[in-house]
Amino acid sequence: MSIVTIHFGFDRAAEGLLGAARRLGDEVHAVVIGDGAEDVARYADRVTAIDMDYSPEPCLNALVPLCAGAKAVLLANDTYSQELAPRLAYRLGGNAVGDGVAIDEKLRVTRQVYGGKAQAVIAPKRSPLVAWLRARSFAPAPLRDAVAEIERVRAAGDAKTKIIERKRETQAEARLEDARVIVSGGRGIGGPEGFATELQPLAHLLGAQMAASRAACDAGWVPPTWQVGQTGKKVAPELYLAIAITGASQHMAGISEAKNIAAINIDPDAPIFRHARFGIVEDYRKVVPLLREKLAKMK
Amino acid sequence: MNILVCMKQILDPEVPARDFRIDATRKEAERGSASLVTNIFCENALETALQFRPADARITVLSYGPASAEETLRKALAMKADAAALVLREDDAAPADPLHAARVLAAAARKLGTFDLILTGREAGDWGAGQTGALLAEELRLPCIAFADTLSMDGGKLRVKRQTEWGWELFEAETPVVVTITNDEHNVPRIPKVRDVMLAHRQPLTQFTLAELGVSAANDYYEVEELFIPKKESACELVAGDTLEQKVDVLARRLVEVTASL
Amino acid sequence: MSAADATREIYWNISHPWVMYLLLVPTLAIAGYGLWRHVQRWRRGMPAARFDRPAERLRRVLVHAVAQKRTAQERYTGLFHRFLTYGFVVLTIATIVVGLDADLHTSIMRGRFYLWFQSFTVDVFGALVLIGILMAAVRRYIRRPRKLVYTDEATLILLAIFVIAATGFLIEGWRIAGTNDPWRAWSPFGNLVAHASSIMSVSAVKTAHQTTWWLHLAISFAFFAWLPYTKLMHIVTAPLNIYTANLAPIGASLRPVDFEQEQFGVSRPEQFTWKDLLDLDSCTECGRCTDVCPAHAVGKALSPRDIILQLRDADSVRVPATEPDRLWECTTCAACVEACPVFIEQMPKIVDMRRHYVMDEAEYPDTMQDAVLSLEKRGHPFSGTQATRLDWAQGLDVKHLSEAKDAEVLFWVGCGGALIERNQRVIRATAQLLQKAGVSFAILGRDEKCSGDPARRIGNELLFETLARQNVANLNKHQVRKVVTPCPHCFNTFKNEYPRYGGDYEVSHHSEFLSSLVADGKLTPSTSEKSVTFHDPCYLGRQNGVYDAPRDVLGGNTIEMERSRNKSFCCGGGGGMSFVDEPAGQRVNQERAAEALATGADVLAVSCPFCMTMMQDGINAKKGSREMAVMDISEVLLEAVG
Repeated sequence: MSIVTIHFGFDRAAEGLLGAARRLGDEVHAVVIGDGAEDVARYADRVTAIDMDYSPEPCLNALVPLCAGAKAVLLANDTYSQELAPRLAYRLGGNAVGDGVAIDEKLRVTRQVYGGKAQAVIAPKRSPLVAWLRARSFAPAPLRDAVAEIERVRAAGDAKTKIIERKRETQAEARLEDARVIVSGGRGIGGPEGFATELQPLAHLLGAQMAASRAACDAGWVPPTWQVGQTGKKVAPELYLAIAITGASQHMAGISEAKNIAAINIDPDAPIFRHARFGIVEDYRKVVPLLREKLAKMK
Repeated sequence: MNILVCMKQILDPEVPARDFRIDATRKEAERGSASLVTNIFCENALETALQFRPADARITVLSYGPASAEETLRKALAMKADAAALVLREDDAAPADPLHAARVLAAAARKLGTFDLILTGREAGDWGAGQTGALLAEELRLPCIAFADTLSMDGGKLRVKRQTEWGWELFEAETPVVVTITNDEHNVPRIPKVRDVMLAHRQPLTQFTLAELGVSAANDYYEVEELFIPKKESACELVAGDTLEQKVDVLARRLVEVTASL
Repeated sequence: MSAADATREIYWNISHPWVMYLLLVPTLAIAGYGLWRHVQRWRRGMPAARFDRPAERLRRVLVHAVAQKRTAQERYTGLFHRFLTYGFVVLTIATIVVGLDADLHTSIMRGRFYLWFQSFTVDVFGALVLIGILMAAVRRYIRRPRKLVYTDEATLILLAIFVIAATGFLIEGWRIAGTNDPWRAWSPFGNLVAHASSIMSVSAVKTAHQTTWWLHLAISFAFFAWLPYTKLMHIVTAPLNIYTANLAPIGASLRPVDFEQEQFGVSRPEQFTWKDLLDLDSCTECGRCTDVCPAHAVGKALSPRDIILQLRDADSVRVPATEPDRLWECTTCAACVEACPVFIEQMPKIVDMRRHYVMDEAEYPDTMQDAVLSLEKRGHPFSGTQATRLDWAQGLDVKHLSEAKDAEVLFWVGCGGALIERNQRVIRATAQLLQKAGVSFAILGRDEKCSGDPARRIGNELLFETLARQNVANLNKHQVRKVVTPCPHCFNTFKNEYPRYGGDYEVSHHSEFLSSLVADGKLTPSTSEKSVTFHDPCYLGRQNGVYDAPRDVLGGNTIEMERSRNKSFCCGGGGGMSFVDEPAGQRVNQERAAEALATGADVLAVSCPFCMTMMQDGINAKKGSREMAVMDISEVLLEAVG
């Protein structure tokens, strides 16, 4: 039986997803909505491209017949995937499991629960399994020798809901989820100025994306799209530099996939130091200007 | 316009990690001394509904949970929801899986009347499955929009603004529709007035049992095979140096080290 | 003529003196109406029981209204204020004596009494009034302290008093000259005027005397009639206000809320108690409350004096001084209450109005809302903390009350102690000292909930009551009798506020308990090399009168800051303010830290978990290259005990 993967474009997540699908054996049937079918075709056995401007209801209707009979359907953890997965599972008579960090050959999915304080292994009771995964943390699939044929279908039709406007926020042009390095600020930054005059230039030097804690976003200092944590984005960078972030578990829930956490915090007792690999106990206002100087010299 | 907001009471997500224990046999967190609180996204959903509320709208809040979930509903009434209903779950029942919860909520919604707009939180702070709203839409055969933060009316049409990882999208939607709500700076739940808190305790509360709704208590969606607390990592290295300058120098080198392979 | 017959002719040179009584009628009517209006306003207030313990109240009136002890805390002001008060009291008595003698024909103004009192004493006190008024004028117009309110009314009052006193001396002098008074030597200052007028003709003296006499009368009567409409109303209200002042510690001065009422906070003046309204009418505009206010001192807009002054004349409590932003600057430190010479209670009024915004309107600062929400949800105000109530006890053999039923003392840790990482070391030190001294104690661990202090001071009385009832029920279940706590806020709440909910315990702050352990020889500290300064916590010192115990724990050798004991300057963390980000440059803790650093001490000792964090932050910000350790008194003692 085949594994169906669903992609909204081609990126690191798509590679990871295809890798996960390949390791579950069998045939990999990739469904691509929008661009990227050509790239996906280098990894999958079969590719179906749905030509549509995304909208949940028609997309779901188009996906159901393509997924019928699959052993498992895998998606990444982007908005559209999370929006569709449970409903797709319902229509296929299967069950969905979300936010997986691992999946085994018995289709058991490991995921974080209780805000990252615990992990659960979820076993399906129905078939197919529809799982959305933190795809970026999965190893990419090997390139196939042959490039799969791309079957093109169109999805259209009336929808009771339709997207009438889309807006890309400039700050998020390079997606936070894709970032390899993230500089993030918390309540201790004290205001929007700290982000603009201290953290932004530092991020620029490190080639990093900017992020923030819920407190900083709720205060309106930075756009809500910057928010990392249980209630924000879940990121998996190589380096997460947490500046003036205490490190409450809700925030840690969003960076549990980070390979290296570094912390700058004035409070030696801040929980972030229990998670960080290295750090410095000092006011960020003193550290960051010096740090920029040093980094600029090293370049 | 009839609006239904589904709300869940959960174990306080802020329970400190060191106080967090797991009941391995029940495969669920131990209550311990932690509090029960309303799931934040459910409160965001109610706040979104309250801010959106057209003049003729009536907001009903619905919860599926143990008797203690009454507190969640009372607080919602204090925030100025119009009516509240509780589907009672046995105290010792296993945690509801998302499909079971969706079926219960769908049955209760049908019993409570017809709704033009049904809101849920995007996910709950305990299990975080993030499915109940979507499955509820399926149960009710309704369209669904996920991760919204703002509702408005424009020329008699419902507008739903939702967040994506790259920005936002604006939907135009026909009702009835299910919308799952995420947090943003505008839907931070309001603090109720004390008078309203007191009045809320005197308001009637509709109660259903599963039997009355004709829904089976079985969880048949998926099974939690294991629940465990992952092991902790090693201690943090605080950069060494006699002066701040030296320390920052070490910090800069360490940062360059870990980013070098990129 | 013998001294026994000494007197003078009353109404000399005055025809139709009865006109004076005729004029007295409208004077009394106008003054009476003014007074009546005040009384009517007080009567509209809510009830307050302020007439118990009459002896104590009377004593306070003697000390503070008659002897003017608090007024005299500013020496110059105290001096001229006493000159004016006592001068006017004597002059008023003298005027009454004249009336009794001349118009009731009592002939009391005779002999030695006439010479010693009616002539000499009155003359001297009249001079004191003149000196007093000149001193007051020098202060107001030359030294110009910033705390004063510069109104026309104040100028007019000074002028009126000067004219009344000056014309009094002129009349006296001209009478002495005109009658060639044989007892002139008994009126030394009047006599000076008499000598000076020797160049005037007899008829000129008579004309001047007569004119000035009527002028003096007219101005005096007008002044009297005007009094109840001015800040001089305090002549009447100050003694009344001092008599009915709060006798309990300041920490016990918040009133309970009647949840049967329609509204829970104060948004209209009549929702204050009558005593609050009397407070408003007692204000002398001296500005001492605002002068000592920590929020005001760091440049914030809050001014307790302006609140009192603007409420005094307003029909609504929504005046500029009570803008919500300003109410949310108060640390409830009660420096204002302590400073007021007429015992006005500014701070409880601020809390009354906060209650309106918090409970009736649900409008208050977001970060305070976070704290309140966290209190509601999990019984502590520190939203997001990953600390637990037992972190501090790791490795110490400390038992829960349920495992140590015979424990004599409940060691009440408090949220600030248990959940702020720095304070966990303080709690640990205190517990270790108790263990060293062999005290049989136990804790409530995870069963502790916030005492409710921040909820109450922020203005959420319902939440405070809920927490209070839960804690009292829990303590009573364990039959707790003695409570020791290192948190002055918990201490104040337990001691002053829990009895109302059925919680009667013998409550000690850890400073009191530790100092008694030292006094009893159960702990024997060695003397330390380090110099220590001590920061009085508002809720231990000013609000509960405990000043010596923490100093005793420190060895009794503290270097005192400029502002200490009852004049101590708040750390900035009370009244829910530790949950608010103060604007940079307006941080109370930094002002206090600078003061502590100025002592040059090695250690800044604190005895409150909120002071600890505020002062540590303040010292960090202000220390520069200097080193100053911030330690709790228990940590200092533990070092000394070894």
